[in-house]
Amino acid sequence: MHIAEGYLPPVHAAAWGVASAPFVVHGVRALTREVRSNPESTLLLGASGAFTFVLSALKIPSVTGSCSHPTGTGLGAILFRPPVMAVLGTITLLFQALLLAHGGLTTLGANVFSMAVVGPWAGYGTYWLLRRSSVPLMVSVFFGAFVADLSTYCVTSVQLALAFPDPGSGVLGALAKFGGIFAVTQLPLAVSEGLLTVLVMRLLTQSSKGELTRLGILLPGARKPGTETKTAGASA
Amino acid sequence: MLPIDAAAHSSRWRRRHPGEKAALGFGLTLAAVCLPPWPGAVLVAAATLGVLLGPAGVPGRQLWRAFRIPLGFCVTGAVPLLFEVGGARGLVALAPDGPVHAGELLLRTSAASLGVLLFAFTTPVSDVLPRLVRAGVPAPVVDVALVMYRISFLLLDAMSKIRQAQAARLGLTSRAAAWRSLAGLGATAFVRAFDRAQRLQTGLAGRGYDGTLRVLVPEAAVSGRFLVATAGLLGGLVALTLVLERSLP
Repeated sequence: MHIAEGYLPPVHAAAWGVASAPFVVHGVRALTREVRSNPESTLLLGASGAFTFVLSALKIPSVTGSCSHPTGTGLGAILFRPPVMAVLGTITLLFQALLLAHGGLTTLGANVFSMAVVGPWAGYGTYWLLRRSSVPLMVSVFFGAFVADLSTYCVTSVQLALAFPDPGSGVLGALAKFGGIFAVTQLPLAVSEGLLTVLVMRLLTQSSKGELTRLGILLPGARKPGTETKTAGASA
Repeated sequence: MLPIDAAAHSSRWRRRHPGEKAALGFGLTLAAVCLPPWPGAVLVAAATLGVLLGPAGVPGRQLWRAFRIPLGFCVTGAVPLLFEVGGARGLVALAPDGPVHAGELLLRTSAASLGVLLFAFTTPVSDVLPRLVRAGVPAPVVDVALVMYRISFLLLDAMSKIRQAQAARLGLTSRAAAWRSLAGLGATAFVRAFDRAQRLQTGLAGRGYDGTLRVLVPEAAVSGRFLVATAGLLGGLVALTLVLERSLP
């Protein structure tokens, strides 16, 4: 799902960088405010970012017999909120480009837009709406992660279609082409990531209640998932 | 430690200022992206390979191991350009200029990836991050990135050991067991990350932590000769591309 180094023409690469910039700047301001008012949060945010980086290195079994890795954007956005995820996602993508040769620097803007902006916001929005509608926590988490994953791939398809319009049918044809290729592998992977996120969240509600309460996922005093009020985790 | 970062720490160019290496590596990447793929990307790729294997002293085997990852993405990314859909020639047909476009894309992405690898193989991330404050990145963001960088290696190491333990306990023998193990791995990463952050917090509090992570940055002067050579190489590549573009088919 990462667009490789040099894949996008220069104008497209620059345009996606400009499109991502306001979200990243907004996230940087939110993060800076948080760190200045609460210096200990530097370590917590660093740990959160490291968790996102490591999560994207886990291998998910795929239906085709191959493996893929989760985007981690859904879980990250639910746990840490989208503005912070814009910054943590950008740093993660930068590390992936430099340490793993995965993604790229000229395509960083495009990758940030799909994976650190649209994915987290779409996933968190879905989670927030479902929680506001009193849908159980784990169902909300599943759809949050599913939508975050799928929206990331949809945006990547649009980015590729705009960069490489089909010679016969233009941008729409290219969108169908790239979207069709992604759909074969990414629809099952989005379901897989949703399921994995639910399993991880279930374990976290058992082992890390304190952290989840501090992050606003559980309300203080909630005994088990589903018993917390509908606004838990729904306040940005 | 990840292989590319480990190689960067023992690189021949480790003591060079990161700005010099950024100018060269990212300059070559930009040249690969902006120049015509034929012959520009070919010349850039050849020059970058020459620098990587020559003056920078990157071992060929390590370079190939790192390069085959983006190369795989480049190849799979170029395949869709071979086809057109919904045109006058049927639902799916071979695009007339598909092979040319796919080849050009392959050349461009390969050359651009080599430029980034030149920087990554010679510059540890720990040398770059503290200097970003001088480049205008807010200090809190740099501090968070530094903590991320340090904790990531510990977490990756822990994940690898837990994975081995899960496999030894038959945790990967069936699909259901593999899913359970995977979920356990993700949850353990979360718990370990926060535990590590809390312990780091306790340790730093004992040393008078005031919200700023102070780290020693190895001093390195910017070499004028290196920058002039970089400008010469990039200028030469641009000029040669423009000349050859007119004379080659």
